[in-house]
Amino acid sequence: MASVSLRKLEKSYGALRIVKGIDLEIQDGEFVVFVGPSGCGKSTTLRMIAGLETISDGEIRIGERAVNKLAPRERDIAMVFQDYALYPHKTVRENMGFSLKVRGVSMKDAESRITEAAEMLGIGHLLDRRPGQLSGGQRQRVAMGRAIVRRPQVFLFDEPLSNLDAKLRGQVRTEIKRLHQQIGTTIIYVTHDQVEAMTLADRIVILRGGDIEQVGTPDEVYNHPQSVFVGGFVGSPAMNFAKAKVQDGALAFANGDRIPLSALAAGKQRVEDGREVIVGIRPEHFVTLADPVMTLTAKVQVVEPLGSDTLVHFSIGGETLTARMPPEMRPEVGADLHLGLDPTKVHLFDAATERVIA
Amino acid sequence: MTTSTLNITDRMEKQPPAWSRLLDLSDKALAVLLLAPAGLLLSLIIVYPVLRLVYTSFFSLSLTSGLPAEFVGLENYQLMIEDPVFWETTWNTVLITLITVPGALVVGMALALLANLPFRRQWPVRLSLLIPWALPLSFAGLIFAWFFHSEYGVVNDVLARFGIEGVIWFNSPSLAFAAICLTIIWKTSSFMALIILAGLQTIPRSLYEAADVDGAGRVRQFFEITLPLLKPAIVVALIFRTITALQTFDIPFMMTGGGPGTSTATLAMYIHQNTVSFLDLGYGSALAVVMFALSMCVTVIYLRIIRTKE
Repeated sequence: MASVSLRKLEKSYGALRIVKGIDLEIQDGEFVVFVGPSGCGKSTTLRMIAGLETISDGEIRIGERAVNKLAPRERDIAMVFQDYALYPHKTVRENMGFSLKVRGVSMKDAESRITEAAEMLGIGHLLDRRPGQLSGGQRQRVAMGRAIVRRPQVFLFDEPLSNLDAKLRGQVRTEIKRLHQQIGTTIIYVTHDQVEAMTLADRIVILRGGDIEQVGTPDEVYNHPQSVFVGGFVGSPAMNFAKAKVQDGALAFANGDRIPLSALAAGKQRVEDGREVIVGIRPEHFVTLADPVMTLTAKVQVVEPLGSDTLVHFSIGGETLTARMPPEMRPEVGADLHLGLDPTKVHLFDAATERVIA
Repeated sequence: MTTSTLNITDRMEKQPPAWSRLLDLSDKALAVLLLAPAGLLLSLIIVYPVLRLVYTSFFSLSLTSGLPAEFVGLENYQLMIEDPVFWETTWNTVLITLITVPGALVVGMALALLANLPFRRQWPVRLSLLIPWALPLSFAGLIFAWFFHSEYGVVNDVLARFGIEGVIWFNSPSLAFAAICLTIIWKTSSFMALIILAGLQTIPRSLYEAADVDGAGRVRQFFEITLPLLKPAIVVALIFRTITALQTFDIPFMMTGGGPGTSTATLAMYIHQNTVSFLDLGYGSALAVVMFALSMCVTVIYLRIIRTKE
């Protein structure tokens, strides 16, 4: 196990900067997830850590060693690829044992490591099959097994679940989490799926346009997003945003609704008059209390019953918002809805910078 | 709703086309009818000529004698066994195959690996691969006949620049044979390279990246990943190349005409000589049947190898 440090890490292709000077400290044994939309630089960063991409500037340290100039094989890392990258002509046993054979591990030791990893992943009965004879989920496990037998200092996962169907993705996700709990090795995991990030990570690194937008625990990024981007990216359904203006000590919405600043959480109460803001409200923070502290008046547009909840889409001053309501609640489409709101859960962002107003 | 949709789809799938229903054909009859044009064409251009060749090989049929064709049974084959030129040309053909096929494979593999490198501009590399392949065999033979010319040839000129005395390539059986083999390797390695290059491009890059992370160096990657995954492409290339090597004609014909003597003549040249020059169609057919059998044997062996690998 080892810590990983990224210092002013950059990657450019000519004038195009893909990764723009990332600084990040990953602790020994930590499970860190890089998440962000396509093109944000998350896979490139992972590949730079693996040594599969050269770095344009900055430094990568694994443990105490600067690894910038080391080949992938010298970095003591193992990687699980998006397409699994299993050798199609080798059996599962040969796939898992290849790195050990290359490194001159004795056959006896290699066999015991392969058996141990195969048992851990429940693929012991597949050892003599070739990848072409396996299902997607089984291939995924073999790819993980190949990484585990190496006993590396750091595991790197590059969108390993993206080729699986939704049900299998959920199962394998749980297995990856259990695996980390068992072996405790540092894991850096790349995904574009915020659910994977939230469920797996000790810390989430949210990337946007080659820069880190926010780093924090799943709770921190969910409950205290530092920008409109993070608020909108983390959580499903996404956080609602509505433009408002601070007038006479209250947030004034386009439809005339007002929320007094004094009702908001501490730190958000001293926003100067006249400032344009973006108000962020999570769908689950709309409430249907008999006597809510605050109410917003909205026209119901669409109702989506999900069984466990009902999603109600409504509009306020031209903005479409979503509320997560109890399952028994079925408002009429077109009706006026008086939605309660817990003002302490309201997020305020500056309309110009889209950064949080603390 | 879903069930009824499925039933409709099911019924639609089982229904033969309208025109087939009109003719009231069974599935089997329909299949035969649809395959008939292709079967007929193949019979006309492949099966009939081969059968006719075998048939003719049992006759004494020389157009120069003016005599009618006479059934002689296996006499042509018996003559062949006693014919030293047949053995010499067959041996030359086998030797050319044994030298030029592996030679073209090695050179072709090197060229394919070179062409697969991430050059900024790919087309000049690919074009230079295509040119020898696109060149007619007889042209290649003529060009290399000049290259190896004792007085004006570029080969002797290069040797002279290194202080090595030039040789008369086509006066010595072994040197003439070597010149022919080099020419064939040059001409055919680009075909090998193209097939291997196509195979190389089907190998996902992520396998090499995984091998990099696993700790394998470039040489190990070649033997552990590239070569095993290229096997299907290599076998296909070998089948084609071996069959065409067994039929070698144009290059030795243009370079040496089979000489000195018959030392560089191939079986195909001997067949040509008997049928076209001597107009002995019976004996020529018997020789052609042997060459056909040789090609078939090679194809069957390669296909067996592929099936075993599968």
